[in-house]
Amino acid sequence: MLQYIIKRILLVIPVVILISFIVFYIIQLPPGDYVSSYSAKMSAAGEVMTQAEMDEMRANLGLDRPVYEQYFVWMKKIILHGDFGFSFNFNKPVIDVVGQYIVLTLVVSLVTMLFQYAVAIPIGIYTAVKQYSAGDYFFSGLSFIGMATPNFLLAIILMYLSYNWFGDPLLGLFSSEYVNAPWSMAKVFDLMKHMIIPVIVIGLSSTADLVRIMRGQMLDELNKPSVVTARAKGLSEMSILFKYPTRAALNPIVSTLGWSLSSIFTGATITAIVLNLPIQGPVMYNALLGQDMYLAGSWLLFMALLTVIGTLISDILLAWLDPKIRTEFRGN
Amino acid sequence: MKRNKKFILLFVVMALIIAGCSNNAAPKEVEKPKDEDKKVETPKSDAKEAPMLEALVKAGTLPALEQRLPVQADIMIEQVTDEIGTYGGDWKMPWTGPGDKWGIGMATEEALFRFTKEGDKVEPNVAKGYEVNEDSTVFTIHLREGMKWSDGVPFTADDVLFYWEHMLTKETFGKKIYDAYYSVDPATGDRALAEVKKVNDYTFTVTHKYPSVQFLERVAIDNKWFFAPAHFHKEILPELVGDAKTLEITKQWGYEDPKVFLVETGYYDWIHYQIPTLRAWVPKTDANGDQFVMERNPYFWKTDADGKQLPYIDRIVATKIQDPSQKLLGTLAGDFNLVTFESRDFTVLKENEKKGDFRVIPWTQPTWSSAAVQLNQTTPDPNLRKLFQDIRFREALSIGVDRVEISEIVTNGLAEPIQASVPEGVVGYQEGWAKQWAEFDPQRANQILDELGLTKRDKDNFRLFPDGSDLTLEIVEGSPDNAAFLELLKKYYEDLGIKLNTKVVDQGTQFDLKYANKIAMHTENISVANLAFRPDALVPLRVITPWFGHYGLYSSSGGKEGVKPEGDVALILELWDKIKGSKSKEEINQYSDEIMKLHMKNQWVIGYAGPTPMLIAASNKIRNIPTDVVWADEYRTLGHGHPSQYFIEQ
Repeated sequence: MLQYIIKRILLVIPVVILISFIVFYIIQLPPGDYVSSYSAKMSAAGEVMTQAEMDEMRANLGLDRPVYEQYFVWMKKIILHGDFGFSFNFNKPVIDVVGQYIVLTLVVSLVTMLFQYAVAIPIGIYTAVKQYSAGDYFFSGLSFIGMATPNFLLAIILMYLSYNWFGDPLLGLFSSEYVNAPWSMAKVFDLMKHMIIPVIVIGLSSTADLVRIMRGQMLDELNKPSVVTARAKGLSEMSILFKYPTRAALNPIVSTLGWSLSSIFTGATITAIVLNLPIQGPVMYNALLGQDMYLAGSWLLFMALLTVIGTLISDILLAWLDPKIRTEFRGN
Repeated sequence: MKRNKKFILLFVVMALIIAGCSNNAAPKEVEKPKDEDKKVETPKSDAKEAPMLEALVKAGTLPALEQRLPVQADIMIEQVTDEIGTYGGDWKMPWTGPGDKWGIGMATEEALFRFTKEGDKVEPNVAKGYEVNEDSTVFTIHLREGMKWSDGVPFTADDVLFYWEHMLTKETFGKKIYDAYYSVDPATGDRALAEVKKVNDYTFTVTHKYPSVQFLERVAIDNKWFFAPAHFHKEILPELVGDAKTLEITKQWGYEDPKVFLVETGYYDWIHYQIPTLRAWVPKTDANGDQFVMERNPYFWKTDADGKQLPYIDRIVATKIQDPSQKLLGTLAGDFNLVTFESRDFTVLKENEKKGDFRVIPWTQPTWSSAAVQLNQTTPDPNLRKLFQDIRFREALSIGVDRVEISEIVTNGLAEPIQASVPEGVVGYQEGWAKQWAEFDPQRANQILDELGLTKRDKDNFRLFPDGSDLTLEIVEGSPDNAAFLELLKKYYEDLGIKLNTKVVDQGTQFDLKYANKIAMHTENISVANLAFRPDALVPLRVITPWFGHYGLYSSSGGKEGVKPEGDVALILELWDKIKGSKSKEEINQYSDEIMKLHMKNQWVIGYAGPTPMLIAASNKIRNIPTDVVWADEYRTLGHGHPSQYFIEQ
């Protein structure tokens, strides 16, 4: 097992290097660069930039050098100094930009995840146990709608309702008086109030997914001999339910936990833009749009790394949970 | 249909349940943080300064008002639009972050000389006054004695001289020395840089070699901030502290490259809280945050007629938004109280005026049109270029489109169905221009196109060039905002048998394509407050406006690259040279008028709907916003209404 893990970790290194190169290359692919998108933005605001000024800016930012040279400079700094480069849009080191948004991103993502599990698992169990009841149809119908509705559309609808009923569309994560205020109870409550819509919206589609998975797994498990035996021995229905089928049904959910790692760190993107959430998703999106390449590159690299690590974690979790898989490792 | 309804109902009910459940978890009433300013109520009091400053003076952390203002005679008295205001409140606005630095920059800008309300001349602002000699070569400019930067350091002629000697002429902040500082000999075309000299602490002179009649206006366009806080820049400029030290400071500020750092501090100085300013509001937070706050400048040098120090409004709070729709939504919900909108939002704003407790104030714009196409006169394809340069082709494209429909659909009927032309009341207005080729006449349009030899048709019945090659017009757009207009245009053009394709690319790409002369047709609208002040849109001096394409490159490269202007375009350039060497304003006006006449004759820009106003949605509590002002970049957009005298009814 340990050998397997070490082997897997070593394999991660070339994968990440390859990804970093592809990432950097892809970011360079679209026509234009940061300077052209910047000058376009400035000229829309009435500032005139001449060709010479743009060339000078390119030289200042090192954008006039060939791609491979830029890549090597970037990689060298990452490896030697842990410096991920500089964000042109923010005029700050990439690390600082990431740091600025990471806390709220994690808060939103984790709360959303909790919401998902807290809602999906009980509903999944309920719909399986009461299969084909009115409640089952209701929740199943709802989860299909949840899966089929684009998140951002739901966001718009909820914002509209909130505006219509309460006069406040609840944009962002804080009311304007709290954005720069130091942390206090009032600010936490304000944050909680503003998190209702994002959590529902971002969480809904995965919640719906989870409900379906949980329901399917439970249905498989409910007729297993272990359950029949337990029932024959006179255990109460409740303790049967939680002791055997539920535990078994949780397996696939636990093993996919690792995969959500990268989405936890980025948070939603389109929904976050619609809801004006100050989290990583929109920052990343703008970096790509504005060709803020070191920020975008670092993010893509980071996400790739998280995906790789997430997969690794899932594999290890699976091996730990499932004896069959463990045996296969030993076989290797 | 019925099923649909059920689904929606189900959906809404669920949303309700979920929203309801979670709402109960959070307390309904959230305690608001205590607002310092609200404690002190001063309705129409005699206080000459804001309560928040008064408190600081009492606490001894700020000098008394008299010591902060310039000497009595040199205080600038700002005329209020309607009434003397009261202190307090926040101007809450949306902004898209530091990329939108101009939005907040123009609104708060304090120029050395600013344009008058009518916009035809300049008046002293940061400067107290000026004298100019007979032949417009020596300008003596007076500053205000006792005026101070926002950190209390005196503002003197040294700040101007320092800016001139160590920043502008050394080109430290990424801009070349502005054209305004060069005078031109009309005979030889010789360009000479002006000389700037200090006379005393509050006076300096600018001396030109040749007459420069429009110097002050040109400065008011090119370089209104003809000064910089010397005491700040002394500490960071590599010339004075050495490259190593500058690099160190650059790193301290979190920047990487000293050149970028110097551009940020020397040019975009208003978004950095570390830099002293003369503006009415001083930045207080990092502009990259989710909220950018500017607070009143305790040393602001203007008062109202009652001697009350401006600004009235305590703070500007700019909250970051990620999507333009949030600007609208926030305005309707009252989250923002003074916001500008394009005319396309007119209907939704008007519908919600009452509910949102705001009013919509239209400011006219000196734009020629709100829906137009520019035909690149230097487009590389020889067939297309020949066609574009043919005045008859432009006439055909103009009369082949129904302007009434365009203005109804694209501008909600706000714009008049007229040709792209100088609007009435703006310098350069020409009688009858608006009506030129404005009548919808598809029959005549087809006839002209036939006369041009475009009689061959392909299998889809689109016209071909006389040599049988494909004739396709292509418009490259930087955003999907123009979709309605382009769809209509496509329909009308195709009715004439002319194939039109539109391609949407990202803004940066569109910009690059424009510079590379690869855009044949462009939908940019022309906006010129006064041609003599800023000729970029109408005179091909460099690559910038789509209609003249690489004629501009020819001028800027001195004839080495680009396309040599001929005919009327060459004539425009000759006239411009005459303007530069003019000795009087009458002469300048006459030549500008001639340039306009050439534009009228040629109609390189074809307009399908007249100009629309810029809309300002302001809370009904915010007073003193003028209603009869022109919105133009040259006049610094919102800044033209003098926001330091806006106030919020408490």
